[in-house]
Amino acid sequence: MSKKTKNKSVNVNNLDKNEKSKTTKDSSKFKIVFGVFAKIISYLFVIKALFTIYCIYLVYVSLTNVPDLPKVDVNVRWGVDNNTHDTRIRPYRVIFSDAMESEIRALFEDYRLMERKIKSFKNTAWTYGVHSDAFAQFFSHWIFKYKFRERVKFLNKYDHFLTNIQGLDIHFVRVKPKADKNVKVVPLLLLHGWPGSVREFYEAIPLLTTPRPDYDFVFEVIAPSLPGFVFSEAPTRPGLDTYEMAIIMRNLMRRLGYTQYYIQGGDFGHMIGSHIATIFPSEVLGFHTNFPVNTSKLSLLTWLLGGLLWPSYFGNGIEDRMYPLKDKMEFYLEETGYSHLQSTKPDTIGIVLTDSPVALGSYILDRFMIFTNHTNKFEDEGGIDKYYDFDKLLDNIMLYWVSGSITTSLRIYKETFAGSRLNNLAQVPTSVPTWALRLKYELFQHPDYMLRWKYTNLLGSTNLDYGGHFAAFERPKDFSDDVFKAVKAFRNFK
Amino acid sequence: MGGLFGLVITSCLTIELLASQNTEPAYKLDPNAWWGPECTKYHNDTSIRPFEIVFHDKMIADLRYRLNNHRKPVPPLEGIGFEYGFNSNILDGWLRFWAEEYPFKEREIFLNKYPQYVTNIQGLDIHFIKYRQKAYAHQEIVPLLILHGWPGSVREFYETIPHLTSVNKSRDFAVEVIAPTLPGFGYSDAAVRPGLGMHEIAVVFSNLMKRLGYKKYYVQGGDWGAFIGSSIATSFPNEVLGYHTNLGLSLTQKALSLTLFGSLFPSPVVDPALADRTDLLSGHIRDAMITEFGYMHIQATKPDTLGIAMTDSPGGLLAYFLQLISTGTRSYFLNLEDGGIDKYYTRDQLLDNIMMYWAPKSITTSFRIYAESLNRRTLALGISEIPTPVPTITIHASDEIAYQSPLLLRTKFTNLLYTTNIDTGGHFLALEMPILFANDVLNAIAEFRNWHAKGGHGNGELLPNNNG
Repeated sequence: MSKKTKNKSVNVNNLDKNEKSKTTKDSSKFKIVFGVFAKIISYLFVIKALFTIYCIYLVYVSLTNVPDLPKVDVNVRWGVDNNTHDTRIRPYRVIFSDAMESEIRALFEDYRLMERKIKSFKNTAWTYGVHSDAFAQFFSHWIFKYKFRERVKFLNKYDHFLTNIQGLDIHFVRVKPKADKNVKVVPLLLLHGWPGSVREFYEAIPLLTTPRPDYDFVFEVIAPSLPGFVFSEAPTRPGLDTYEMAIIMRNLMRRLGYTQYYIQGGDFGHMIGSHIATIFPSEVLGFHTNFPVNTSKLSLLTWLLGGLLWPSYFGNGIEDRMYPLKDKMEFYLEETGYSHLQSTKPDTIGIVLTDSPVALGSYILDRFMIFTNHTNKFEDEGGIDKYYDFDKLLDNIMLYWVSGSITTSLRIYKETFAGSRLNNLAQVPTSVPTWALRLKYELFQHPDYMLRWKYTNLLGSTNLDYGGHFAAFERPKDFSDDVFKAVKAFRNFK
Repeated sequence: MGGLFGLVITSCLTIELLASQNTEPAYKLDPNAWWGPECTKYHNDTSIRPFEIVFHDKMIADLRYRLNNHRKPVPPLEGIGFEYGFNSNILDGWLRFWAEEYPFKEREIFLNKYPQYVTNIQGLDIHFIKYRQKAYAHQEIVPLLILHGWPGSVREFYETIPHLTSVNKSRDFAVEVIAPTLPGFGYSDAAVRPGLGMHEIAVVFSNLMKRLGYKKYYVQGGDWGAFIGSSIATSFPNEVLGYHTNLGLSLTQKALSLTLFGSLFPSPVVDPALADRTDLLSGHIRDAMITEFGYMHIQATKPDTLGIAMTDSPGGLLAYFLQLISTGTRSYFLNLEDGGIDKYYTRDQLLDNIMMYWAPKSITTSFRIYAESLNRRTLALGISEIPTPVPTITIHASDEIAYQSPLLLRTKFTNLLYTTNIDTGGHFLALEMPILFANDVLNAIAEFRNWHAKGGHGNGELLPNNNG
């Protein structure tokens, strides 16, 4: 165990090293030591003042220092087999097999017939988590109304593929736009997060791939599954954090023939997109994010101090979403339990969620409803009937279930938040043109000036008075409209 | 991994703490709170009914079916022990053991070896063991209320009870053990409305002891049992003859300040040899708190979400519990592929404990103790701030999850008679070291009796440290 070295001019530990302290003499020893310390400090005012200035300087340098871009290895291998270099792009289909359906129905029955299911307290809405009554409704739909055969057809309405990048089979959906000679086709990489998937983009994709008046371009969409999620292979050794995922996604685009492209990201997709824009700025034509945050220490400090000193000034137009500080702190404390658990023990909770569809459903449903609108916590139904129909929510859950990928998807939390490189790129700015979309109930939001410390060419932002964390999933039209608007600005920016 | 996450969590907690500074408690403890259905309030049944644990055939069949048909877990990453949580390589072995080798009927008989009862306190049927051995004529029978925690149960005490209740001619007392199951755990009823936190549970247990005819008694507690025991000693000081704990913690603001100060300047605050057990700033303790307390965070905020999940998967429940028991026993078990789980416990012991959650389906309601206790309402009761003059004795195992020096403990326990530091042992001390545990408790009771015989006035003067 290593002790931090202290830069203090007086080290109290050295002072009393020669005195053997007995616990029975604690309080008097304490007084002597403290007294001596206080006396010496009071005599050293000048030294104190200089020392303070030096500390402030160190803090300033630490907060504003722009580290060099770390060396990037674009050929890191992640798979089991280090020798295969398969560059084929192989067609893929989502399959809901009969065996899978029988198994899950048997598991449904086990739960349904269980004696003594615990009931949640009355009149507490979702303040203890998913309410048993609301869950029963959701579960009932899953058993009796969710049509596996129809849903898998729906999931296959777009073309799916697998291709091997750095040893891992990466799954993606690729949708070409409807042909129109007058309209330029530009590639758009859509990056999802947790507990999302490519399913989040299904309603937005037709809107993104259809030409629209006032726009001389249209998108070809590439929506991959992050490594370890759904049908993308997971690594077999630790270390695949968002930084490495950025490299994989960039290599994916190169595999598909794109040396320049636009990126859209939310949740982890924002972090990965941001890393790509920082590490490979010449390849990214523009970056659109619906999770606009700056994760640097300076931003965190500004947010905290701003909240204490002058929220309306530091909030710069979105202070109602950043403050009051106390409310925000309470909110984060209350809502980050899942993240705390997944960032530290992903494999433990993974075992639970792999073993039971009810477990998986309950866990994911909880996050979808609270991240869409945290006031759902005070609704008896938790808002489950308000934003998404059950089939949509279940499609997403089924993708995790049939692929057995929940455990490997959870590991992104540990790799990222418990990894050593969480904030390496936070203080490295990128000049890639950027656009921020802020929906009202998004969990973290930073104002434009703060974003510009990182995204120096933030061309603009859109603030919506509704909507939550899953922008594409909940508001496909607003989402698509804003992506078009942003890319138009990117194209005009030279 | 201090980092951003740790900083944010620490800031949140600090601001929460500072924001909750009230001089007047916003809430008060209701000694007659009713936790059962309203309609039962007026048919108050005060009978004490014998109770037997039964493992029904149907339950066993369903459990074995689930275990034998569990979904294959994803293998762990290369070179990993328990750093990512329960290592799934050992899951199949454990589940096969549980399904095929764990002798349900034999264990049921074993679990019933001590006389058990149920009695209704404040609307809740509380399950408890009550047991003593035949004493000599000259010996006084002293009641000892012994309290378990989470994810424990009364099963933790089965190996230590014979020693606790052993009759020794040279002692002037013999112990009668009363080991209740916490409300919402095991075979004790769960509250049907919110509000049953650790201080409210303390009231329930004080009433339990009254129901059993004890005006005064000793209290022993670990984990939640330690907090509940401390609460009983604070709220009912005239009932508690002495409080022994293997997780001595003062939650006063003074203790918190001293801890922070002690992180910078250890020697006035804590014995230098034990300084690293309390140092919050060096990274070691802070990191351990962050890496190990995820379960606490989610159970305190979303108990029902997790409960739905855990109720449906016995394999998941086992992985969840055994991961905690692993790291709670020895911190170095984190790096072992098998989590070191078989080192100090038998599989039957640990499965007995898990059965106390699975069989009565009390997982969800057991999680709720976190949500009901780690909240502003509990903080606002201010009971943790109030010192207690009840004579207290603590034992500190080397791998216990938290440590406070006598200086800190005395901010809460003004008559801390002595502390014992051992260089072995973990969080589940009674289960892991039943004889050492029992001896320490018996010595403590002897010391409490001496203290009372001498007039029972303490001035906080600490007896010489016991280092065993």
